[in-house]
Amino acid sequence: MSDMTNQAANAATEKQYICVKLANEQYGINIKYVDNIVRMQRITRVPKAQKYFKGVINLRGEIVPVMSLRLKFDLEPDEYTDATRIIIIKLEPQSSVGLIVDAVKEVVNLDEESIDKPTYNEKDSKSQYLAGVGKVGEELISLLNISDVIIEKDKKESANN
Amino acid sequence: MDVGQYLEIFIDETKEHLQDLNEQLLVLEKEPDNENTINEIFRAAHSLKGMAGTMGYKRMQRLTHDMENVFSEIRNGKMTVQANLIDVLFKGLDALESYLAIIQSTSDEGTEDNEDIINALNEILEAGTGKKSSAPAKEPETKTEETKSEGGASEAKFAALKLSEYEVNTINKAKEVEQNVFGLTVYIQENCILKAARAFLVFKCLEELGEVVKSDPVVQDIEDEKFDFDFSVVLITQAPMDKVKTAVMAVSEIKDVVIDNFVVPTTTTETKEQKKAPQATAKGGAAAATATATTKNAQQAKKPAGKPVVNRSVRVDIEKLDVLMNLVSELIIAKNGLISIGGSEDGKNSNSFNEQIEYLERVTTNLHESVMKVRMMPIESVVNKFPRMIRDLSKKLDKKMELYMTGEDTELDRTVIDEIGDPLMHLLRNAADHGLEKNEDRVAAGKPEVGSVFLDAYQDGNNVVIEVRDDGAGIDTDKVIQKALDKGAITPEQAEVMTEKDAIDLLFKPSFSTAEKITDVSGRGVGLDVVKTKIEKLGGDIECKSVLGEGSNFIIRLPLTLAIIQALMVELGSEKYAIPLGSIQTIEDVPCSDIKYVQTKEVINLRGTVIPLIRLDKVLDVEPREVEPESLTVVIVSKGEKLAGLVVDNLIGQLEIVIKSIGKYINNNKVISGAAILGDGEVALIIDANALV
Repeated sequence: MSDMTNQAANAATEKQYICVKLANEQYGINIKYVDNIVRMQRITRVPKAQKYFKGVINLRGEIVPVMSLRLKFDLEPDEYTDATRIIIIKLEPQSSVGLIVDAVKEVVNLDEESIDKPTYNEKDSKSQYLAGVGKVGEELISLLNISDVIIEKDKKESANN
Repeated sequence: MDVGQYLEIFIDETKEHLQDLNEQLLVLEKEPDNENTINEIFRAAHSLKGMAGTMGYKRMQRLTHDMENVFSEIRNGKMTVQANLIDVLFKGLDALESYLAIIQSTSDEGTEDNEDIINALNEILEAGTGKKSSAPAKEPETKTEETKSEGGASEAKFAALKLSEYEVNTINKAKEVEQNVFGLTVYIQENCILKAARAFLVFKCLEELGEVVKSDPVVQDIEDEKFDFDFSVVLITQAPMDKVKTAVMAVSEIKDVVIDNFVVPTTTTETKEQKKAPQATAKGGAAAATATATTKNAQQAKKPAGKPVVNRSVRVDIEKLDVLMNLVSELIIAKNGLISIGGSEDGKNSNSFNEQIEYLERVTTNLHESVMKVRMMPIESVVNKFPRMIRDLSKKLDKKMELYMTGEDTELDRTVIDEIGDPLMHLLRNAADHGLEKNEDRVAAGKPEVGSVFLDAYQDGNNVVIEVRDDGAGIDTDKVIQKALDKGAITPEQAEVMTEKDAIDLLFKPSFSTAEKITDVSGRGVGLDVVKTKIEKLGGDIECKSVLGEGSNFIIRLPLTLAIIQALMVELGSEKYAIPLGSIQTIEDVPCSDIKYVQTKEVINLRGTVIPLIRLDKVLDVEPREVEPESLTVVIVSKGEKLAGLVVDNLIGQLEIVIKSIGKYINNNKVISGAAILGDGEVALIIDANALV
């Protein structure tokens, strides 16, 4: 009985993350935003889009824009392999976004204690995408702040334009 | 008795009756002796009362009852129609409408008694039947109004804001580094139409000055217009208090701003659910929904009010449904035909197979058409509230004006109908407020004293055009340019070469219309960017023609249907694109030798018309062809009267496509209006020819 209540309490503070590989780093995406994971498929290029948006795909009749996390994080361009996956993120109903990752590894459970808050560095544009660093055994997983990754900050956009 | 199941019908019918009353009252005002109208009004008021009573809405019933009493006396010839009576009746209608709005969102009528209106009605009734002057009736009413507005203003609601621990920390930190922390409560004018837009502008200007740490209601609710006429924020800034205040007041249609240094309240540990309940009850009215929602389900409390308890419904002509039913049965027959062909595995049946495909195609086309017809609604349902609005404006602005409408039966897609109301209202208000001159000025300029505002709707090819016209002063482009120069929106060099059209386009720029007191220039500019954005979101566009001294004309062009269109499929390199057939004029084969240059731009001379060429492969960054062919395939597209030739590699053919959005996260500079899924599952992007021309 007490075990069960313990477990329930744990489940409440624990969050599940999908752990993905990108170059030689591991990133965690909160599972509640993940709608689906699909294999690489034909992407239709969208002209004049942001560089990191590779285009759109047809996901069972829905048009889903797909972005390359590698390009978003200024890493080497993607090389598509058999392990490459598109993670479909649904932040709000009716608008999904796909993220291209090198591979999907596993689902990890993290409680609050094993998550370190990120150090915020204003000069490093990439640090704004991080919600924290999770520790699983010896491994470190950078937890993504998914809404900031997908939604471009207005200021930056106007500066680019 | 459980009347919940009748709620939808009640709301629909009440809306109809209210609209009816509005229209009839307008007639009554002009022809006070029209017996038919009086009878009609009496009937509508009577049914309203009955329905409200059945549904158990006591306050609504009482108000309609008193209105009905008045009509009854008029009908019996015991009193006559007077101007102040009409005013009170219109106020009564407004009150009924607000009851209805509350019922729609909470299924409860709220707590507003509208005693002032009822009193006014009764006084008129007494005075009228006693054959006395009914002048004193107006007094008590205006008084209550004044006290109301006084009570509402100058209240520093921000002091009651509840903060989370994180927000408190941020504020304390800001204080440590000697930043100013202000609490603001902003009151928007009650007659403001796009209050969400105004609030947005306030936020924008606040964010330029500093950081907004807290707002009540939350930003999302403000954006969705889920607030009354005030909202409170906590701002961290380096700017002094008066600067913040003037900045906010600079946004037009802001009534008042209460600002003070923000002191963190001591009790901040309440949970979110506890916070919301007392606030909601305090506000009453629409916010009452929050309270009920909180008690019902603590988790849902985060999404209060706003969400209507009733789904939106459409009334559909039963004949249209019959047609649909027939088509579906034909579809089943077609399917069965295909099954039987599949069963008889003969090759000789390929003929009948093709026949069945053709049959199927016919059925689906018809089906598409019928479904579209079900979605189409006459624009009447939006525009029929405008005569009343113009009447009110005319009184308020003290200008004589008349609204002339044509083409109310023009049909538009339902989604468009729902969205087009606000922009049209805005344009009409602009026309009435700033477009039309004062009566004296009109007479002095040799125009008829009564100003005219026109609203014309008509179908033009695959588009529906709505024109909002006035015979007022028109737009003074010189003043507009001067104002833009003052604001720094354009450089003097730019101003030099600006044509009249460029100047008018300035009015649609967001930076321009947020300007302080732009109303002093020639009037135009208030919220026109909001109007433009909304119309573009619907896939339409807006342009403005104006002649100084003769009036201005805003022309809105909207696509007839949104979801399914005929398109020409073209090939560029290895990519496929769709061009909507609606904007295509002709397709031409142009020998390269026919290309001429005007100002280093490629043009062709097609049967006497000079048409600029647009190389789609360059616009869309497609790999150009290695060898330039001897002749180019040019698709001539049009936008209004302007033409352009799109150069494509190959034509594939005509196809019926379903337009899908490519999502809001991806930028595309408006060249791509959406995407379509082809038969083989491939995605083709749809080119917005309007954006290119």
